[in-house]
Amino acid sequence: MTTHEFFVDMTCEGCSGAVTRVLKKLDVKFDIDLPNKKVFIESDKDTDVLLETLKKTGKTVNYIGPK
Amino acid sequence: MALKTNLFSVTLSVEGMTCGSCVQSIEQRIGGFPGVVRIKVSLELKNATVVFDQALQSKESLAEAIEDMGFECTLTETTT
Repeated sequence: MTTHEFFVDMTCEGCSGAVTRVLKKLDVKFDIDLPNKKVFIESDKDTDVLLETLKKTGKTVNYIGPK
Repeated sequence: MALKTNLFSVTLSVEGMTCGSCVQSIEQRIGGFPGVVRIKVSLELKNATVVFDQALQSKESLAEAIEDMGFECTLTETTT
């Protein structure tokens, strides 16, 4: 398993809540760091798949790299 | 005839929005969908009013799109 680090432009609990819900649908282990606007996802899925899922929330998303 | 007959307006209740940026991201994303003519999201009323072309979108597809973004969305009332 690899942990991937993403930057997601979240500004409030509503934003992180939205991210939580889309990731739950994907069935992956993840951790959200709201103050630092980071999302850590533990998954063997392709990073493009994870990136697309995060982008569904309509927020700015950048892939930082494996942790 | 003021409007095209296939234009339709729907109000969807949206749960889970807490700030202006949530509202903005919904308006931007859904507003960019094909067939969506106009969208107004209200944080206070917790709903989204969408005017759309029935040939390209449906109430269900719009609700699903908002669900997909991570918000709880239910169909409430429909007006023509």
